[in-house]
Amino acid sequence: MAGRSSGGGGDTMLQSINSILALMLILVACVELCDAATVVDVYRLIQYDLSGAPFGSRLSGLNHHAGVYPFAPGADLSRTVVLMPVRELNFTFLQDYIVNKKQLGGLLLLLPPRSSEKTDDDVTIRGTLIELERLLIHSTIPYPVYFAFEDDKFDDILSDIRRSDNNGQPASATTGGYKLVISTPQPKKIPSPSITNIQGWLPGFKGDGDTSQLPTIAIVASYDTFGAAPALSVGSDGNGSGVVALLEIARLFSRLYSNPKTQGRYNLLFGLTSGGPYNYNGTMKWLKSFDQRIRETIDHAICLNNVGSLNNELWIHVSKPPENAYIKQVFEGMSEVARELKIAFSIKQKKINISNPRVAWEHEQFSRSRVTAFTLSELSSAPEFLESTGGLNDIRTSVDEISVTKTVKLVAESLARHIYGQGKNTQIFSDDGSLAVNSFYIKLWLDLLSRTPRVAPYLSKKDSLLLALKKELSDHTSEVIIQHDVLDGMFTFYDSMTAKLNIHQVASVTFDLILLLAVGSYLFILYCFLVITTRGLDDLIGIFKKPPSRKIKPN
Amino acid sequence: MTVFHFFNCAILTFGPHAVYYSATPLSEYDTIGTSVKAFIVYFGTTLFKLFCLATFLNVPENDSVDLYQELLKAIIGFTDIAGIYFVLTQLTHRNISQNHKFQAVGLGWAFADSALHRLLPLWVGARGLEFTWEHILQGLEANANLVLNLSLASLGSLMWIRKNKPRTLIPIIYLCAGILATMPSITSYLRRGLGWHLTKVIGFELCSSLTMAFISWQLFSVCQKPTN
Repeated sequence: MAGRSSGGGGDTMLQSINSILALMLILVACVELCDAATVVDVYRLIQYDLSGAPFGSRLSGLNHHAGVYPFAPGADLSRTVVLMPVRELNFTFLQDYIVNKKQLGGLLLLLPPRSSEKTDDDVTIRGTLIELERLLIHSTIPYPVYFAFEDDKFDDILSDIRRSDNNGQPASATTGGYKLVISTPQPKKIPSPSITNIQGWLPGFKGDGDTSQLPTIAIVASYDTFGAAPALSVGSDGNGSGVVALLEIARLFSRLYSNPKTQGRYNLLFGLTSGGPYNYNGTMKWLKSFDQRIRETIDHAICLNNVGSLNNELWIHVSKPPENAYIKQVFEGMSEVARELKIAFSIKQKKINISNPRVAWEHEQFSRSRVTAFTLSELSSAPEFLESTGGLNDIRTSVDEISVTKTVKLVAESLARHIYGQGKNTQIFSDDGSLAVNSFYIKLWLDLLSRTPRVAPYLSKKDSLLLALKKELSDHTSEVIIQHDVLDGMFTFYDSMTAKLNIHQVASVTFDLILLLAVGSYLFILYCFLVITTRGLDDLIGIFKKPPSRKIKPN
Repeated sequence: MTVFHFFNCAILTFGPHAVYYSATPLSEYDTIGTSVKAFIVYFGTTLFKLFCLATFLNVPENDSVDLYQELLKAIIGFTDIAGIYFVLTQLTHRNISQNHKFQAVGLGWAFADSALHRLLPLWVGARGLEFTWEHILQGLEANANLVLNLSLASLGSLMWIRKNKPRTLIPIIYLCAGILATMPSITSYLRRGLGWHLTKVIGFELCSSLTMAFISWQLFSVCQKPTN
């Protein structure tokens, strides 16, 4: 009995030792996990090649001390990560470093937190962001550049570094401070970036003929974005607002077209195109995919671009002269509705230069395919290349539902008058009718798109946003098709959009040296004290007087 | 840099034990065997304590201090006394004087405590990039612990080995030993019950251990006299 029970005890002992061993292993395995004090989500500056020339941030890994502007003149910052809040951005400093290609250890730009409330300094920050983005996108930066959102932790770090700077100790390896570490693999090229177009039809009233013989009106919006930080490029205004307006127009007309009595004698074609920032490459591919005969039935195309913050002013951009009879008719129809909606509505022509590869407006792709088209936009002139396409400043607070609602009303009303041949003062989409523009629907879609970065090369073919757009379009229209294609040559994109930043508070080498000295002298004093108390002072002296010859032992 | 820091913390934690061994006559009388025995017994005692704690204690759901649980913990903490008693009286040692025996036992006990409780956290924590004061403070705590364990062992040897000691001192010896044995509970109460900061707790530990060491030294020398 005794033997058995002791055996049982031995078993439990063995088990407990095993469990202790397991625990130790887990602890050892945790070494890397509990190492970092603070982990922050950061968003990398875009890295791309434009016909072979490198642009953007060319590196992703980071392991340097943090520093804050202002620096001592002539300071070597090649091993310093410059922390810079956008609120107090020193643009000349940054420009000096980027344009003159001076080396930095890294750059971490702190964006103001994206709140849902508009604040007073929004306007100044938007201006700064636009300028900053223009600088960053068109430069080659040979060090990692990241964006992060300001928070309490960063505030603490900034004030900490500033305090030690004021004491005359710039942060470096010898004076401690903060170390910022991002360990990501080297960014890789994205093989053949894809673009995805989505289209849906609302077939018109056929009577006894074929619908393909009916004229078609196309409503098009490009949905993808481009910005300094691909993971933050949500593009609420450019061109989330256009997408939302298109979806709402599709919803309204699907209700009209579902009843044979109100089904118009026009086919309606809705297109969500990709590749907008890249000279509307997706639009070109999409147009090419149509059969010549179908393309010829397109009466005209309405492109919606940046319609989220109108300021009561809307422009219709055309490439043909405004005196053209057809364009005049459409413009007059629209400006009539615009007057009723109290929107200042004006026309602007920009001729197409075929030899110039730059396509500034989506309608220019249609015009190049000999389809009459125009763009509705709040922008008074054509944006520069890679601008107004959903940058850092283009967030939910920069658009309002009212602008989108007004655009929808304008387009839908004028379109309906055109289709049904109604004259003035017929309100089909009046606010109290059953066909009223639904501002909740607009708000929801604006909210969703303002949360979803949509830089085309980083969207997979099965991205949930694409599926959601397809689902929404197929709820309102028929024959919904998703078309995948490859983005044309010039661009090469690199991955790793987001990363985890580890912030460590580190001690300096000097501190460690002082600590070593302190511990060493403590141990020495302890030794002397113990020898004196236990053996007497003479012994202590004896130890240090030992002849060194003792070490040499005679063989 | 971080390996440097680890090295610093390690010599602060384990250096005093080595210094104590080499500076005092312990090294001359070759008492390492006794220390090793104390180490092994400490290991066994700790395992036993783990069993007891795991069996009798509930896992606290919050950080509040439950008096009953704390009492139980303190009682289980007394296993240490039993361990020291076992090493001092039951194990046969080579013929070394009582004087050196308790020192060797105390040293072995304190070293085992440091090695088992602090080495792994040190290895895991002090090599990381992040700097904290924690590991330096832990090193200081190990020093306080060494003093504490030496005092406890000296009182233990007074209690159980020395036969002719002044009668009037016996309650004081037992009282001091009791205080020393409950010291871990007291510090844990200060830390969690009163929410003291780690620096404050370790300052208290250092002061209290030095005071107790002084008292036990005085007791020891008073008891030594009649025999001389």
